[in-house]
Amino acid sequence: MSLVSAPFLAFILLVTLIYYVIPGKVRHIWLLIVSIAFACFGGFYTIFFVALSAVTTYIGGKFAGAGRKPLARNISCIATVVFNLALLCLVKFYGVMDVIAEDLNSFFGMNEFMLYAVPIGMSFYTLQMTGYVLDCRWERISPEKSFIRYLLFATYFPYLTSGPMNTYADLSARLRSVSEVSFSITRLKEGAIRIAWGFLKKLVIAERAATVVNSVYGDHNTYTGVYVLLGVICFAIQLYADFSGCMDVVLGVSHLLGIDLPENFNSPYLARSIREYWQRWHSTLGSWLRDYLFYPLLKTSLFIKIGDKARKAFGKKKGKKVPVYLAMLVLWFAVGYWHGGVWKYIIGSGLLHCFYIVTGMMAEPLFEKIRKPLKADKAYFQVFRVLRTFILVLLGFVFFRSSNVPDAMDMFLAVGRSGGAAFDIQGIINMGMGLPDLIVLISGTALLAAVDIYKFRPDDNEEPKSVLALIDRGGVIAAWAVFVLLVIIVLVFGKYGLGYDSGAFIYARI
Amino acid sequence: MNKQEVFDKLNEVFRDVFDDEDITVTENTTASDIEDWDSLEHINLIVAVERSFGIKFTMGETTGLKNVGEMADKILEHLG
Repeated sequence: MSLVSAPFLAFILLVTLIYYVIPGKVRHIWLLIVSIAFACFGGFYTIFFVALSAVTTYIGGKFAGAGRKPLARNISCIATVVFNLALLCLVKFYGVMDVIAEDLNSFFGMNEFMLYAVPIGMSFYTLQMTGYVLDCRWERISPEKSFIRYLLFATYFPYLTSGPMNTYADLSARLRSVSEVSFSITRLKEGAIRIAWGFLKKLVIAERAATVVNSVYGDHNTYTGVYVLLGVICFAIQLYADFSGCMDVVLGVSHLLGIDLPENFNSPYLARSIREYWQRWHSTLGSWLRDYLFYPLLKTSLFIKIGDKARKAFGKKKGKKVPVYLAMLVLWFAVGYWHGGVWKYIIGSGLLHCFYIVTGMMAEPLFEKIRKPLKADKAYFQVFRVLRTFILVLLGFVFFRSSNVPDAMDMFLAVGRSGGAAFDIQGIINMGMGLPDLIVLISGTALLAAVDIYKFRPDDNEEPKSVLALIDRGGVIAAWAVFVLLVIIVLVFGKYGLGYDSGAFIYARI
Repeated sequence: MNKQEVFDKLNEVFRDVFDDEDITVTENTTASDIEDWDSLEHINLIVAVERSFGIKFTMGETTGLKNVGEMADKILEHLG
């Protein structure tokens, strides 16, 4: 069941209605039932693998917690984490279950004895659950006693397909307080507006941008020169509208239930450096990897030793950066690998960004010197930094969207290739984008950009400016009018309906 | 070791790690008060503090300390 679909809306309506009718003390049971039902919609294998991870991490966390023998704690923690990560890699990246299904089918002589597809959300829930085990081992939390409560943390349906990833401390505290949540019109209004905005981003913007993207990436010979640039920019629009739209639906739905999940996006394309970009783009993945991989790695005796040796060899200032660079290499390899286990992701979402950040850090003394003569504190320089960062991000996206690395290289070459279709309005219309579509795409993107510019605060730790608060200034009627307007825009301009199958969320396939 | 002595020693560590002789930390000092104290320098600081006091922070403490006051309390706890 896609998060952007009529059945999902009906599901949410039913879940929310019953949630507020039943007594507060059984609400968590209701959430557990609907979460399991939601996972079942993803197919038998989804519920099987979610349950497998939930049971192993629950038991693993119990034995990794404080008060047991150190050796037992370590064994339990390592075994559980390795098992779950290996399961993710084998099932998701190496298609092991496909092979098993095929073998079983041929063994039983039946074509459909076992049909296999990758369980939904595996990349997300695996990290969230292994984070729980590590938290137990590192005594950030005490292991959960109630399996029911743990299972709800593990399967809570809004996050299950695409995140955001939660820490146990945060989400379990919110899930514990569901009994005290009372129905509020304000929350209904806020949730509804956010869900409608998510639908708009996905159906009006992302699905239209996809038309251009699919044409350009599908045919590098016809689409050359400016078309390639258009395709690359459209993919950045598509991916952002798609993934952040999905998050709007997820956070909006959870908000309806009185459970606020962490934000994943904070005006990412306005970041002034690649480091800042990763604090604004998919930030729950970034914090997960920082807390569970990057920091622990730097604290291992091996990395401390490397730091000592490097300080002796290169001096204090440069030397202390060496273990950081090495840990970054591991971190960024992991970020890229997590996206799909193939090189186009490892390069495009991983090592390329590692290269940007590490060379940036190495060149810092040089930047320091040229900042003053360039008048770097002036507005024009900040705009330059935003554009430069966006272009660097686009280069990574070319790998991300291409079928593989050679294909990405061919995309880069196609910029300079001649002999393709002439770049004019007819050419764009030939991609399947009529003039009205083009106008809707441009207006939608402009609206998205305006919202992001309004929300933007230079300090990425600061709470972004709230668009909902802005809408509220107009009063209750104006707020509901905005909701109705969003719904109308989605109904009129959204790409959906009979015969049209809106593509699955990009990150739901990751 | 009392709290004042912990803070004296912490001042030395902070000055050394951030290369700034003017740093004086208090109970309420946080990462936002010291310019170079970002997520990358954080681990260098933690490791330097551990060495200086001969203790080991847990991973939970490494990422969960709110301010220098809490860091000092944890140090005293570890020193027993």
